[in-house]
Amino acid sequence: MKYKLIHKTEYRYAEPVSNYHSLLCLTPRTLPDQLCTEFRIEVTPEPSQIFERTDFYGNKTHYFSLHSPHKKLTVLTTGMVERQSEMTGSLFIPSVVTCREARNRMLNERSLKIAFLEYILPSPFVKWDQEIMDFAQECFLDDKPLYECVQHLCRKIYTEFKFVSDFTTIHTPIKDVLAARKGVCQDFSHLAIACIRSFGFAARYVSGYLETLPPPGKQKMQGSDASHAWISVYIPDYGWCDFDPTNNVVPGERHIVTAWGRDYNDVPPLKGIIFSYGKHTLSVEVDVIPL
Amino acid sequence: MLAEASVNLLQSYQSGLSSYDEVLDLNGRIKPYWKALFSTMEKLGIDELQNRNKEIVNKLRENGVTYNVYGTPDGLNRPWQLDPIPFLIEQKEWNGIAKGLQQRAVLLDLILKDLYGPRNLIKDGIIPAELVFDNAGFFRPCTDIKLSSDKQLTLFAADMARGPDGQMWLVDNRTQAPSGSGYTLENRIVMSKLLPELADGMYVSKLSPYFNSLQNTVLKLSDKSKEAPNIVYMTPGPNNEAYFEHAYLASYLGYTLAQGDDLLVRNGSVWLKSIEGLQKVDVIIRRIDDDWCDPLELREDSRLGVPGLLQAIRMGNVQVLNAPGSSVLENHAFHAFMGNICTYFLGEKLIMPSVATWWCGHVKELNYVLSHMDELIIKKANRKTKFRSIYGRLLSASEKDELKRMISQKPHEFIAQQEISLSTTPSLIDGNIVPRYAALRAFLVANGNEYHVMQGGLTRSSPVKDRFVISNQYGGLSKDTWIVSDKTGEVPEKIVYTAPASVNKHISLPSQSAENLFWIGRYCERTMAVIKFMNITINVLNLDRNFGGSAKQEHIKILLQSLTHLSATYPGFLEEEERMSDPYKEIIDLVSNTNRPGSIASSISSFLNAVSAVRNQWNMETWRIVDLIDNGFQEIRNAGHMNSNNIQKTLDGLFNNMFTFLGIIAESMPRDNSFLLLETGKLIERILSRISVIQSNFGVKNSSGVENELIEATLINHHLLVSYRQIYKSHLSVEAMLDMILLEKTLPFSLVYMLDELKSNLGRLPSTTRGERLNDAQKYVLQASTLIKLADIPALSKSNGKSDRSELFELLSEVSRLISSVSVNLTNMYFSHTIMHHSFFEPVDYNKDEI
Repeated sequence: MKYKLIHKTEYRYAEPVSNYHSLLCLTPRTLPDQLCTEFRIEVTPEPSQIFERTDFYGNKTHYFSLHSPHKKLTVLTTGMVERQSEMTGSLFIPSVVTCREARNRMLNERSLKIAFLEYILPSPFVKWDQEIMDFAQECFLDDKPLYECVQHLCRKIYTEFKFVSDFTTIHTPIKDVLAARKGVCQDFSHLAIACIRSFGFAARYVSGYLETLPPPGKQKMQGSDASHAWISVYIPDYGWCDFDPTNNVVPGERHIVTAWGRDYNDVPPLKGIIFSYGKHTLSVEVDVIPL
Repeated sequence: MLAEASVNLLQSYQSGLSSYDEVLDLNGRIKPYWKALFSTMEKLGIDELQNRNKEIVNKLRENGVTYNVYGTPDGLNRPWQLDPIPFLIEQKEWNGIAKGLQQRAVLLDLILKDLYGPRNLIKDGIIPAELVFDNAGFFRPCTDIKLSSDKQLTLFAADMARGPDGQMWLVDNRTQAPSGSGYTLENRIVMSKLLPELADGMYVSKLSPYFNSLQNTVLKLSDKSKEAPNIVYMTPGPNNEAYFEHAYLASYLGYTLAQGDDLLVRNGSVWLKSIEGLQKVDVIIRRIDDDWCDPLELREDSRLGVPGLLQAIRMGNVQVLNAPGSSVLENHAFHAFMGNICTYFLGEKLIMPSVATWWCGHVKELNYVLSHMDELIIKKANRKTKFRSIYGRLLSASEKDELKRMISQKPHEFIAQQEISLSTTPSLIDGNIVPRYAALRAFLVANGNEYHVMQGGLTRSSPVKDRFVISNQYGGLSKDTWIVSDKTGEVPEKIVYTAPASVNKHISLPSQSAENLFWIGRYCERTMAVIKFMNITINVLNLDRNFGGSAKQEHIKILLQSLTHLSATYPGFLEEEERMSDPYKEIIDLVSNTNRPGSIASSISSFLNAVSAVRNQWNMETWRIVDLIDNGFQEIRNAGHMNSNNIQKTLDGLFNNMFTFLGIIAESMPRDNSFLLLETGKLIERILSRISVIQSNFGVKNSSGVENELIEATLINHHLLVSYRQIYKSHLSVEAMLDMILLEKTLPFSLVYMLDELKSNLGRLPSTTRGERLNDAQKYVLQASTLIKLADIPALSKSNGKSDRSELFELLSEVSRLISSVSVNLTNMYFSHTIMHHSFFEPVDYNKDEI
């Protein structure tokens, strides 16, 4: 599938902002099954320079700063992305590695441990306790294949939680999400990652976009027309496998990957530091247009 | 006799020893240098040593050497504690220690490069992966942060203690922003000033080569093409515990002291916001911790850092040392692997061992720790976890079980260390020389391919017996550390300079410091103006109380109301008649109520805050006076002790000290922008305060009896009564007075004089306008000065029908308005950069720079 991607973020400030520093993490990654043929960033007012960098996880980030007073800031990114039908995910030969085996190997095989330890340990936004383990206990049975167990977890989150937009912020603790049984894609992804890590497996946070199918006839997908987030789990001998707990699907052609890290904190799509006293409002518009 | 006494002193010390001591060698013999030191102390006598100790304590306080302690209600500045008995190490032994330290620094540098680079230490199984990925000091945005020098670890401080076998053990590494070298230097300076004879017969190695080496390294890091690189010493600010040291080192090394808010990243470079505009910064020596350096890429809630700093470093436009990310080395778990790492990188053994450490992430070590808890100290591998070290032997059985359970749940988060055993060293406590535990911090700086070790260090000794409490936050003592030999002719180490020695010809004045200086001038003068006029008023009150009738006379009422106007402490004497009948109650409140804006106490408090925020500006003489002013401040805050009889004495003392402060400024401060801003603030306040008094005293015409009293008071307020009498004798007239206080050019407190001074000051400050054009501030002053010069004194003295002197009042109001505009204008022109950056979070914790 080929997509045109448009992501527009607009800040409006009550008081003029004279200094602004920003870090973007919005460029679609180039992967075996994903090609980004074109990518452009337009910032208004225009910064004198935009600096590109590849971060610790291989994601592309862009840094810019503004130094003249402005009351409105627009960051517009456009891109052309080609997604091939999934190579991971929906398995023709499902992985049979059991939870027990996977856990033992992650613990004891040095090369695996070195490569994936940071996805097994707690991270800034993903911590867990007994309560979270209890929630996921039924999903992770030692004799069952790990792949199926993660699917089970995603189904559980999908069925037991309500997608509610304004209930959480990015700083809402996972425990609150668990207690309220509602949240958005970031929350569900963080919760799923916490559950998976709490049983000793490696899981990472994936940030990206999701193409929404038009309503008629079909059910509209949640998290549509906005940035989306899902998870990826490392299955020994198989590799990283993506799961989307928000929609209970295996991410495929319609999921566009921009970045991954331990959690949201490693890959916020857009963050900034402003020098101002006043308040600000934010609006975001995302279009994923199939071509 | 003397020799015998000396033996006695040493003997009595020796008899009090309960564990191994610095004075004795392994065979129990007294080390020769200690013998010499004891003999010198004997000559001096314990009483004299005590006296010198008091002088030292006073000196340190006068010099403003403090260590702020967080969490105390009044933001206490705790005076630095220095024991007059130094810690001695023989040069030969020290050379061995130095080798161990150098090897350690080389190793840590290699580890640092490896962890932020290929991470072969993990791939080759030398250290477990947890030491990187579960290390709170490992910052992923720092993987491409590199200094332009070979060595990435520039500054390094190591805490050491002597073990029972006589060997020094390495206890702790300080790698991100090592502290203590400034206190070490100050200890040495004070000791050599106040106890010079203690070093009789010994040669004590100098500290200065270390600092020269540091300057040299910094110079090499800075832009070679620039003749005078801009070097900034970056501090978290006056609230930090070690702020004294930051300011002290900045001025000793000749670098600009700046806070994060003074710096700005623009186009990938770091700029200092100075009153001369933005100036490009080449090198930053930082005293803020890694995670606070850049709110954009590290801790989002940091207000101490500079957004965009990491990017500027990546682009090579600024060198920051130590490089952000260096705290990865401060993880305690590394001690468990140093031996293996040393073999891996250098193919040799560690010269100086680390204190025995077990990382609980491996089963064998975990089991050892769980079964030997009584001999161990349990810590978290990561620092700053709010988990305080636990001594296994102090735990009850149930506490021990609880701890074991905690460790077993997350073993990789814990380490255990052999309970450190320390040597004792002679300390002067309550007039006796007694043994106390001590530990030593050594300082190293990279110089080319090597590490230079300071020939000395910071020794901390425990103030209490048989217990080891050395953290300055909990009240430890420090000691000067002497590396001694008997060869005075020893060749001093040569420092090879790669560039001319003058490093930073141009020390910039950051906007924030500029603003503080301006307000120092204003608050100083504001305090003095209120005290002066209050004294005048009290004198009149006393005269009236003793020699006048019981009815309050009109002139007293006017003077009291003028005092309220002057201090802007409304309603004050303007409303309630009651206050008039017992004016002292209000006056005392006006003196001592710190919470009342406009009171003397509140102005002095603001003055002292501003003074300490730019402490690198002051010389010793100034500090001594500031200390006296601070004492006076403590005195006047105590309202209970004040009454109509003693209030003037206290106020006089305070006034004289502030006058001395201005005198020292006038006599000794370099005529740079700092001076000009302080003077400008002072003049603005002086003009405004004088105008206020004239307006409230003479805005309304009174009977000549009343006016005569007011004229006299006003002349005293302008320091002019003597000059007036010389000319006009005893004839008092409003017209003659106005002529003098407004127009007499030779009198420093006349309006015309002050306005002309202000004009000339503004002309010398850096201008933001083109060529010879006047900026707005200059225009306002010119206008004000012209208005005064054109004044028609006879007309001003007259009143209209309702006995209002409206012409005088309006003229002075206009001048007052213009001068207030100057202040606003200066703020916009020079200090506006000080706008704070916005953060979406409340700060959770403060950056600590604990020694």
